[in-house]
Amino acid sequence: MDVSQYLEIFIDETKEHLQSLNEQLLIIEKEPENTDTINEIFRAAHSLKGMAGTMGYKRMQKLTHQMENVFSEIRNGKMKIDAGMVDVLFQCLDALEEYLDNIQSSADEGTNDNEPILQQLEAILNGETPAAGGSDSGSEEKAESGESEHVSIDFTFTDFERHAIEEAFEKKMNVFAITVEVEESCLLKAARAFLVFKSLENVGEIIKSEPSAQDIEDEKFEQVFKICLVTESDLDKVIAIIKNVSEIKDAVGEKIESIEEPKPEKAPEELAAESKDEKPAAAKPEKKEAGKADDKGGAKQKAGGKPVVNRSVRVDIEKLDVLMNLVSELIIAKNGLISTSSQNESKSSQSFNEQIEYLERVTTNLHESVMKVRMMPIETVTNKFPRMIRDLTKKLDKKMELFMTGEDTELDRTVIDEIGDPLMHLLRNSADHGLESAEVRAQRGKPEVGTIKLDAYQDGNNVVIEVSDDGNGIDVEGVKNKAISKGTITEEQAESMTDKEIIDLLFKPSFSTAKKVTDISGRGVGLDVVKTKIEALGGDIEVKTQLGEGSTFIIRLPLTLAIIQALMVELGDEKYAISLGSIQTIEDIPVEDVKYVQTKEVIHLRGSVIPLIRLDSVLDIEPKEQPDSLTVVIVKKGDKLAGLVVDRLLGQQEIVIKSLGKYISNSSKIISGATILGNGDVALIIDVNTLI
Amino acid sequence: MDTAINQTTVNAAGEQEGTPITNQYIVVLLGSEFYGIDISNVDNIVRMQNITRVPKSQDYFNGVINLRGEIVSVMSLRKKFKLEDDEFTDKTRIIILKPDHQEPIGVIVDVVEEVVTLEEESIEKMSSDSRNERAKYLLGVGKDGERLISLLNIAAVISDDER
Repeated sequence: MDVSQYLEIFIDETKEHLQSLNEQLLIIEKEPENTDTINEIFRAAHSLKGMAGTMGYKRMQKLTHQMENVFSEIRNGKMKIDAGMVDVLFQCLDALEEYLDNIQSSADEGTNDNEPILQQLEAILNGETPAAGGSDSGSEEKAESGESEHVSIDFTFTDFERHAIEEAFEKKMNVFAITVEVEESCLLKAARAFLVFKSLENVGEIIKSEPSAQDIEDEKFEQVFKICLVTESDLDKVIAIIKNVSEIKDAVGEKIESIEEPKPEKAPEELAAESKDEKPAAAKPEKKEAGKADDKGGAKQKAGGKPVVNRSVRVDIEKLDVLMNLVSELIIAKNGLISTSSQNESKSSQSFNEQIEYLERVTTNLHESVMKVRMMPIETVTNKFPRMIRDLTKKLDKKMELFMTGEDTELDRTVIDEIGDPLMHLLRNSADHGLESAEVRAQRGKPEVGTIKLDAYQDGNNVVIEVSDDGNGIDVEGVKNKAISKGTITEEQAESMTDKEIIDLLFKPSFSTAKKVTDISGRGVGLDVVKTKIEALGGDIEVKTQLGEGSTFIIRLPLTLAIIQALMVELGDEKYAISLGSIQTIEDIPVEDVKYVQTKEVIHLRGSVIPLIRLDSVLDIEPKEQPDSLTVVIVKKGDKLAGLVVDRLLGQQEIVIKSLGKYISNSSKIISGATILGNGDVALIIDVNTLI
Repeated sequence: MDTAINQTTVNAAGEQEGTPITNQYIVVLLGSEFYGIDISNVDNIVRMQNITRVPKSQDYFNGVINLRGEIVSVMSLRKKFKLEDDEFTDKTRIIILKPDHQEPIGVIVDVVEEVVTLEEESIEKMSSDSRNERAKYLLGVGKDGERLISLLNIAAVISDDER
C-alpha cells in the first residue's frame, strides 16, 4: 500500500501524541494513581502503535507495542508506577522521537532497534506482573450485560432491550427515560454526552440511547439526546449526576413502569465495545482493552482526550509569505493614493476621500487577518520545556521546578520556529549555572527546590519573554576577572565599566563563566548565539541580576515582522518612522525646562526624570536653529523612558517594513529597516530599543 | 568566440566562478575613465533618483532607493575609488547589479556609454602586485579600438572592505 501521501499527517499526529505522552508522563510521575492520565497515556500509545503499523514502521510499532503492554498492566492495576519505570518510558519517548526524526528526513525509520529499551520494558513486564490476558474475558462479560438497544416512552425498544428492561423490573430496579439537553454554546457535545454516559454507568446501566451511542459519539445530534437507564438509585439522584457534568443545560426524566412483551436476546458485545471507544479509527484490539479499562476503573474522563476537531487547512508558510507580500504591496499602493489625494486638495472630492478611507479599512483588516493566520501560540515551543527541566533535575541532581505563564501569547510563525533553541539554552543556563546546589541553597535559607520561571506577555508592539531563576545571580566580579584573564578587556577598562557593561560581556562569543564544563551548558558557545539569533529576529535581550538572589533574562521580540503602525517625524529634511507601539506620549517642552544631570540633558515630566536624546546628532543630521520649544516624543522600553527630540511631526501611518539589505552596514543598529512612502520615497525606521 | 578559453580567463580571475560566461561589457564613464561591467551582473539601469541617506553606514554608500517596491542600497563608485565626489547630472545613472542572484545593489556612474563585445585576446589581465589602489577592484583592462576600458571585478567592488 502506498502510504506516502499520509506521511505528513502521520508525522504531525505522531508529534502530537509524543508531546501528549511527555506531558502525561510528567503528571503520572507526580501522581501515580491518576487513572485519567493512565488511560490517556494508554490511548496515545495505542494510537501511535496503530499508526506506525499502518505506515509500515516495524521498529516503531514494536517499541510502542511493548510500551502499550506496560501501560495496559498499569491500567489494570497490576503494576505500580515507580521512578525507574518512568525513566524507561521517557527513554522510549526519546527513541520514538529519534525514529520520527529519521522518518521526517528520509521517510524511513532508521535501523536502530533500541534493543536495550525493549529489554527493559520486557523486564518491567516480567518482573513485576503476571502475563496479561486473564482480565479480558471478565471485562467482556461485563460489557455484554451492559448494552442493548431499546426504547421507552418515546423510545422504540428492540426485543433485546425489552428483555433487559423486563429483567430490571424483576429485580425491582428502576428504569428511567431521561432527556438530556446540552448547552447551545457547548463545543464538544459528544464529549459532554460521553461524560454523562460515563457517570451514569457508575450508578446503573444505560440500555438505550437515542440517537444511538455511536451517533452521539460522532456528534450526530442537536442539543438533546435521550437515555434509558436501569438503576437502583432514584430519579433525583440520577438527574443530579447528569447535571453535575458541565455544560449540560437540563435533564428531565420519568420512570418507566411497564413495557410490552419481551423478545429473545441478541448479543450486544460489539455494540458495547464500540460505544465506549471514542476513536473509531483505532485498531480492533484496542476496543476490547478500552472497554475493559472503562468498566474496571469506572473511567470518567475518557472523552476529554478526544482531540478538538478544528476545521483547518494546512498551508505552506511560503504561500502565506506571498499573500503577506501582496498585502504589503496593497498597503503601499493605498499610501500612494492617500498622498496623491492630499497633494491635490482642491481636486479631491469628498467621495474620493470616503473611498480612500474605505480602502484603508479594508487593507487594515486584510492585513490583520493575514497576520493572525501566521500567528501561533508560543506554547508550541514551550510545551517541551517541562520535560527538559525534569531531565535536567535528574542529570544535575538539583531540585527545580519550572513555572510558565502566558503560553498563549502569540507570535509570528517565523519567530516561533526560531525562538525554541535560544529559550532552551536560557533555561539550561538557569538550571545549570543559575540555581545553586541543594546544600548552598540550604545555607542561604532558600527553599530546597529551585524555581525557574518562563513568562511571556505582550507589551505594545513587542512580545516579551522572561526567563528567570531564584539562583545565584551573576557574579559581576567573577565575570570581570574572567574577562581580564581571558584578555577580553584590560584592567583599566574593567575599572571604568559599569556592572551592566560587564554583564553584557557574557554575550560576547566564547565567553563562558562556568567553572566546569558540563554537557548541559558551559561550552562558551551559548549566550552569544542566543543574542545573535534574537537580534536576527529583530529583537533584543537584556539581563537583570542580583547576586545571591537570581537573574532574569528579558527577551523582547517584535510582534509582527512586516507591517506596523508608525509615527512619521521629520528631522532636517529627512523623514523617519517610529513604531507607534513604543511611543508613550508626545510633549512640547520649552527649551528652558531642559535640565542637566551629569552633563546629560533631561526633562521633568509628571514626576519622572526622562533623558533627552537629540535624534539629529544621533543620526548625523545638521542641527537646526534651536527653537523656543522642543517637540519630544516620549518612548518606552519596558519601564524605561526616553525623550526623542524631533523637528516636526508628520502623522501616523501604516508602514510596511523592508530590510535594508546585506550590503549597507548598519552597525549601530539604530535603523531597523526602511519603508516606502506614498510618494515612492524611502523612509528609515528608527529602532527605539537601541536608543534607550 | 571560444567558451573554453573564456572559462580559463574567468577562473584565472578567481572571483567569478558560477557566473554565466559572456564577454559583453557595459561601458560606463567615471570622470574621464572608462570602466566595463560584465553584462551578466547587470539587472537594470535606472535614472538618478531620490536617495535616502542611511546614517552610520559606510561612507561610500549614498543610501537606499525604492526600486519598484524593493529597497536597494546604492553606492558611489567614485567614493569607493576615492575619486572626487559625484556631481549628479541628467546623465547620471544607477546600475543595478545582481551578481550570482544575490540581493541587488546599485552603483552610481556618471554616464552609461554603450555595450561592447571584447574578445579574450584584447583583454589584459591585471597583475596582482599592481600598486594602484583601485587595482583590487579590477579584473583587467580591455582594448576597444583606441579606448582602454578597465573591467570591474564586481565581487570585489560590492564586498565590504571596511569590515
